[in-house]
Amino acid sequence: MIMMNRIAKTSVLGNILKRGLATASATPRLKTFKIYRWNPDKPAEKPRLQSYEVDLNDCGPMVLDALLKIKNEQDATLTLRRSCREGICGSCAMNIGGRNTLACLCKIDQDNSKQLKIYPLPHMYIVKDLVPDLTGFYQQYKSIQPYLQRSKYPDDGKEVLQSIADRKKLDGLYECILCACCSTSCPSYWWNQEQYLGPAVLLQAYRWLVDSRDEAFSVRKSMLQNSMSLYRCHTIMNCTRTCPKGLNPGKAIAEIKKTLASN
Amino acid sequence: MVKRLSGLQREVLHLYRTSIRIAYSKPVDNRPRFFSFIHEEFGKYKDLSRKDFTTIEHLLRVGKKKVEMYSKPELKNIH
Amino acid sequence: MLRSIFRTVTPVVSTFRTASSSLAGRRICTRFVTPVRLYSSESVDKNEITTRVIDVIKAFDKTAASKEVSPQTAFHKDLGLDSLDTVELLVAIEEEFDIEIPDKVADELKSVGETVEYIASNPEAH
Repeated sequence: MIMMNRIAKTSVLGNILKRGLATASATPRLKTFKIYRWNPDKPAEKPRLQSYEVDLNDCGPMVLDALLKIKNEQDATLTLRRSCREGICGSCAMNIGGRNTLACLCKIDQDNSKQLKIYPLPHMYIVKDLVPDLTGFYQQYKSIQPYLQRSKYPDDGKEVLQSIADRKKLDGLYECILCACCSTSCPSYWWNQEQYLGPAVLLQAYRWLVDSRDEAFSVRKSMLQNSMSLYRCHTIMNCTRTCPKGLNPGKAIAEIKKTLASN
Repeated sequence: MVKRLSGLQREVLHLYRTSIRIAYSKPVDNRPRFFSFIHEEFGKYKDLSRKDFTTIEHLLRVGKKKVEMYSKPELKNIH
Repeated sequence: MLRSIFRTVTPVVSTFRTASSSLAGRRICTRFVTPVRLYSSESVDKNEITTRVIDVIKAFDKTAASKEVSPQTAFHKDLGLDSLDTVELLVAIEEEFDIEIPDKVADELKSVGETVEYIASNPEAH
């Protein structure tokens, strides 16, 4: 196993070397990235866009690759969150070319005559550069009690079973990584961040509402039964359009509305 | 007659008041440290224009967070 | 009975009303209507309050100790305190009397006399 790993690694390394050599001779394809900068240590200075040029021949395919290349080679003060670089952690959510998405899942437009603008998630307080303050977002997530609630667990200490049909209801919900792309694309959320839960958290609320193993159904429902938490959704559907995981928070919210209306 | 305070100015005073009260909640010997820390933090922005709303609002937000953190009873001293 | 309480209270309330907004005035009113608390406030003597307030001011490191302090002394005009210093001084006075002056009231206290007046009217001061 270890041997195989080593072989795999060397061949990958070989590929990188080959590619590096192949592209070194090509003429550089410089693309301009305009990136939002703001430094909390100098709060009186206004935010600005800073331009960086990256040679696309010498850069990975994703926007995150370009950002890290800039941070490594040009400007170490550029600040952003990133972790998994494969779209499962949700750290690198930002506004790229006008759309909220994950930098690690967003391909760089190879047309280097066009510049690419990168902003932090819109309408959020900024910690620094591309790092938004998600405290409120996480508090809202906590407020819907996102964990299994039931009075009895199986005596054998194993999992609570559910039917295949019941499990199927969770598809399209459990995949959410809480990157906040959808919530911060929602105008209703922009204006009522304090009270409206926003699409991401509501999708999770629905995920626990439909879980056959959960017994807090009526409590969960009553938590949403007010004018602000849920009903600020006006089916604008920016959430579904922007979701980098291809989920449909708009539909989940509609399902909650149906559930609340039906009893 | 002294000029009426704006809402933002009141908020700053409120933050300052809360901070000073927190300092009084700490052990007597350590209070001077808290006081000088508060003076230093507020002093940094003494020359900020009163019209610079966005900056003041930002500083208030950051200040509130710090107040929340420093108000914890487990926190007894700073250096 | 109730009317007599109101009569004793009105002068104090009205001084604050002129200074602070009507909302603060209303809050003060509701506090004073509780009769038991009103009577207990008589226990702290005004002269004693004045001396203690002046002592706190003298001990406050931002005021020149040499300066004469009387009930007429204004924090900003006479002692040269800025708004933040005033807040700090008032919190020191709060500590001395073991009370908490609400923001709306504290923002309007400009002189030693006004402060003494407020403390005398606060049933929780001791």
